[in-house]
Amino acid sequence: MTATLLTSDLVLSVAEEVFAALVDGEEGKLTPWIGAPVSFVEPVVAWVDLAGEWAGRAVLLTERSTADDLARALLCLDPAEDLGDEDLVDAFGEIANVVGGNIKSIVATNGDLGLPHVSTTIPDASGTIIEEVLLSWRGRLMIVRVLHLS
Amino acid sequence: MRVLIADDSRVMRQIVIRTLRQAGYDWWEITEAADGAAALGIVRSDPPDLVLSDWNMPEMTGIELLRAINAEGHDVPLGFVTSEGSPEMRTMADREGALFLIAKPFTAESFRDAIEPVLA
Repeated sequence: MTATLLTSDLVLSVAEEVFAALVDGEEGKLTPWIGAPVSFVEPVVAWVDLAGEWAGRAVLLTERSTADDLARALLCLDPAEDLGDEDLVDAFGEIANVVGGNIKSIVATNGDLGLPHVSTTIPDASGTIIEEVLLSWRGRLMIVRVLHLS
Repeated sequence: MRVLIADDSRVMRQIVIRTLRQAGYDWWEITEAADGAAALGIVRSDPPDLVLSDWNMPEMTGIELLRAINAEGHDVPLGFVTSEGSPEMRTMADREGALFLIAKPFTAESFRDAIEPVLA
């Protein structure tokens, strides 16, 4: 199989399913982003690498405050509760991990999924963007990007 | 019922525990391990009735954990709860005697569908 099987609709479908099941407990909180993307002031990026017959990377990119609220939602914390960096890295990385695992099931029949990474800097990759989907999670921008790594 | 949950993500361990409760298994006594090696240590010292394990973990992966449990002769059943459920992984899990493989994202219903038949 090749990455050509991946479409923006499939990426959207994967993300919607992951957020509905693990984050929100209901559908409809994650929708396509309407309009031009906003610039991130304090970006946070999470990614997992896919190795094997199809080498690639699944990336989630959002604003730090959005990632904080995503982690709070995963941990069922009150919006005002303090959130440690460790919890943010764990939660946001795990979302990227599950999204990446489901994308891998579309683009490859074998190979390995790496462990998730979280950073404030977008990883340098001499790859090609196969799909990029702009999403709105509770009204805030969340980008899912899939790269084919050479 | 004493159940060991092995996952390198503390957040995911919490979500698994929450989903088990939602699925009606709130009476289970849960122990946690942060990777396969830690889980194997618990299996050796205080064997649980069931292990629910992630696949991708540092130190020792889930499939390596299952192989070690088999090789050491522990009578401890294991089911996978993992970020991907490719046919290749399901075949490998079946070959090593895993009870089931639940792919994330999961729901309380998908937990019940996988767990009920093995409890019966």
